[in-house]
Amino acid sequence: MKGLLSLFIVLFTVNSWSQNVKEYDLYVSDTIVNYTGKKVKGIAINGSIPAPTLHFTEGDTAVIRVHNKMHHETSIHWHGLLLPNEQDGVPYLTTAPIKGMSTHTYKFPIKQSGTYWYHSHTMLQEQNGMYGAFIIHKKEEAPMPEYTMLLSDWTDANPHEIERSLHKANDWYAIKKGATQNYAEAIGKGHFKTKLTNEWKRMHAMDVSDVYYERFFVNGKTEDQAPQFKPGEKVRVRVINGSASTYFWINYAGGKIDVVASDGMDVQPVPVDRFIVGVSETYDIIVTIPEKGNAFELVATAEDRTGQASLWLGSGLKQLQQPLPKLKYFEGMKMMNDMMTVGGNMKDMGMNMSLQQMDMNAVMYPEITGKEQPKMSTAMPDMSQHDHGQHGGTNPDIVTLNYAMLKSPVKTNLPDGPVRTLHFELTGNMNRYVWTLNNKTISESDKVLIKKGENIRIVITNNSMMRHPMHLHGHFFRILNGQGDYAPLKNVLDIMPMETDTIEFHASEDYGDWYFHCHILYHMMAGMGRIFTYENSPPNPQLPDPKKALKMVYNDDRRYYFSAEVGLESNGSDGEMRLENTRNFFDVEWRLGLDKKSGYETEAHFGRYLDKNQYLSVYTGFDFRYHNSLERSKNLFGQISTQDQRAVACIGIIYQLPWLVNADMRLDHEGKARLQFTRKDIPVTERLRLWGSWNTDFEYSVGSRYILTKYWSLSAHYDSDMGLGGGLVLTY
Amino acid sequence: MKTIQNIFLALVATFFFTGCDAQIKNPKTETVKVYGNCGMCKRTIEKAANERGIVKANWDIDSDMLTVTYDQTKTNTDAILKKVAYAGYDSDSYRAPDEAYKNLPECCQYDRPVKAIAMAENPSQHQGHNMTADMPQNNDVLGAIYSHYFAVKDALIKSDGKTAAAKATALNKAITAIPMDKLKPAQHTIWMKIQNDLKTDAEHISETNDVKHQRDHFASLSESLYTLAKSAPNGNTIYYQKCPMYNDGKGAFWLSQENTIKNPYYGSAMLTCGSTVETLKP
Repeated sequence: MKGLLSLFIVLFTVNSWSQNVKEYDLYVSDTIVNYTGKKVKGIAINGSIPAPTLHFTEGDTAVIRVHNKMHHETSIHWHGLLLPNEQDGVPYLTTAPIKGMSTHTYKFPIKQSGTYWYHSHTMLQEQNGMYGAFIIHKKEEAPMPEYTMLLSDWTDANPHEIERSLHKANDWYAIKKGATQNYAEAIGKGHFKTKLTNEWKRMHAMDVSDVYYERFFVNGKTEDQAPQFKPGEKVRVRVINGSASTYFWINYAGGKIDVVASDGMDVQPVPVDRFIVGVSETYDIIVTIPEKGNAFELVATAEDRTGQASLWLGSGLKQLQQPLPKLKYFEGMKMMNDMMTVGGNMKDMGMNMSLQQMDMNAVMYPEITGKEQPKMSTAMPDMSQHDHGQHGGTNPDIVTLNYAMLKSPVKTNLPDGPVRTLHFELTGNMNRYVWTLNNKTISESDKVLIKKGENIRIVITNNSMMRHPMHLHGHFFRILNGQGDYAPLKNVLDIMPMETDTIEFHASEDYGDWYFHCHILYHMMAGMGRIFTYENSPPNPQLPDPKKALKMVYNDDRRYYFSAEVGLESNGSDGEMRLENTRNFFDVEWRLGLDKKSGYETEAHFGRYLDKNQYLSVYTGFDFRYHNSLERSKNLFGQISTQDQRAVACIGIIYQLPWLVNADMRLDHEGKARLQFTRKDIPVTERLRLWGSWNTDFEYSVGSRYILTKYWSLSAHYDSDMGLGGGLVLTY
Repeated sequence: MKTIQNIFLALVATFFFTGCDAQIKNPKTETVKVYGNCGMCKRTIEKAANERGIVKANWDIDSDMLTVTYDQTKTNTDAILKKVAYAGYDSDSYRAPDEAYKNLPECCQYDRPVKAIAMAENPSQHQGHNMTADMPQNNDVLGAIYSHYFAVKDALIKSDGKTAAAKATALNKAITAIPMDKLKPAQHTIWMKIQNDLKTDAEHISETNDVKHQRDHFASLSESLYTLAKSAPNGNTIYYQKCPMYNDGKGAFWLSQENTIKNPYYGSAMLTCGSTVETLKP
């Protein structure tokens, strides 16, 4: 009898448990897509980009089988979910990578509700289309019409090629965006001094994002339709930013927007006119379909305003939202000049900035600060104001959401425990695309040890020139935003330049490694993050060789990027090839003349950047040169070159001076010294670049380059050894 | 030499003619309604719709009909009408953004098929719980003051003296038009106290296009209005904000409907400089 009873109990439990298991099969495959008229590679899940939306109810157990139908490995990370460490899906760090043609099963209990998403955490696969919505419904949820708005960015370019270009500071994307901020444009807009100061402070063209995207998507489409909603209905829209590197502004043509949740966690409803969704953030909003036979545009505009994607709510005559006007880059540049010291640090001019409350970028928003005034208008204010008064119109206060406005509906105080405070400074070097925390990449720093039961408080200061969406895996943190006990819970913190924010979280997990990183894909891959690791974690069965696995994680930001500039001109060829990573570089330079008199010269170097801003580097290398000339000229230091043919070893030091001039001082083993000044790529017009160099051997050259395509330019230059030449330059 | 010249001329001519007579491939022609008024409308509509080698548009003033011929592999009528709507013109598919319509020159302000759309103000009903019964009445009475004040402030944010003057004129009118019998006794007292100051400052702002002079008066205007806002807030939360630098470091204040700082005292140079010193809840 007793046996029967226990059997009954077992059966009953299994039965009730199995009712709550929700299973999904995800098939990951290579695919060819055509969004722009060009066929390019993408990665689809169950045949679609984005991946299918997964629905769960709080209390379910999720069983998700990921079938990798590709020949290379992949992974899936469940963004914002609280789950056992080995289910987190960061390959090599928490979970085994899913090898080509194999299946991996994830299984974890669903302990929360709200709007989340999932994406690949392997290299740049997220940019290729591997993202999908992960919706968890509350157990007893009042039924309400709802719609998921998954945002993403699409480029036809190979993401690895984008990454390489970013590290090379190739300005092709700026050309495509019309954001080169060249001297001709600066003069035309009366901002010549602004541009000069900007370059004096060693900054290249400024922008709010790095990559040029061909398309922006709502649920994989430029325009998505949701005609099913009736007039007067309130609709919960789950906004997920699944893009690789694009922030989106959200505006609604049908009136106010109520923000009711962020990163899956409820907040007290806040009515706003617009808000920005950081990369990887989610917001739940409620909008009303006004009482007319209309469809209303809910529009997501890329922060750099190069494009937008819309969701149409309701049916009928389509009410468009006024598009956001183009950014006033030179105003932003002026602001940057004020904030940046010549030493390369950001200063906040005594303002304590935090929680997105002071958007410095607002100086670039014409809808707030007025239209860009042509240069003439400053001289003739009456005329310009006449024009302005007619077109500017009245602009009632636009209410923009910021973090200080988020308030949790319930108390969020952390459980008692020892408090430990960490300070993270976000640091970066835009010119070389180095992104770090406290000036160290993930691979250069130790894991941060934490203990279960501890409360970790992090004070984050952004001392870089860009905003960063910092994401913590497997935990929610409180943003200390002045709401006291009701501080909102989030797992992504967008932090703008010069801001300081404080977040805190309870070390509530039992074990494992948890990533904390910038969610801009290309920043993460450059090493902008840290790993939190619980003390005394047991070995992870998914990673049988933990040392090797960790090396794989670290390899992401240790990679070398190749670049080259090869000139083929009528007077010979010069060029340079470089291989560089976060700190080191190898380079080979050459100049080949067409006759014996002009001869040839090659230099090869290995060097290392030393300081935080990477203005300073040292190198060692060797040179070969041959030229058959009878002239024996003294250099500036009174030394005479004695041989036509030389092979020397050398050491040198390079320092980047204001106005982006590189000073290169070198000494060879025969004791001969040379100091050379070089300035490359002065942006004269959108596509015209000037450059020049001079050294103490009295060699000099000046040249110009007209950019035709991403890789090819027309060029002409004069060289003191080789004379005048013209031809083509390949920039890779 | 002559031959080269001829070839060159021939080439130029070819380019010229192909440029002018860009044939639209895969053509499809459709005629749709686009609402408009005048010859200027015609130019704007066609300019918005035309795309070299892809779309050729012709709008007829009398019938309000737009005839488009386009390359059907590259675009469609819907996309063309969207561009036309962004330029300010309604069709039966798209209603232009109100702002785009307002920006049209006066002669082009055609009769819109759908005049106005009622916007949803507060999608979730949690708002306005704590409003007392007589609050809305006060809002109606003083609401005009606040909205004109904010309009002046927005003009100053943009350093737009002309608009600021126009808005101040409206503010001045609104001040005069306040029906004092509808104010509560306490507010009545405050109103009597500040009324003249408000009027003086509004007049000064309205009488000049000099932004500097306007800002001087805006500073005192803001302080007067603050005393009113403290006793009779309007329907929404008002943020009392401070610019620490104005007036040689003595500082100046202003009222805003949002917590984010948009400083009206310096234009874009110091746009986000300042802080919220008090939050006035309704």
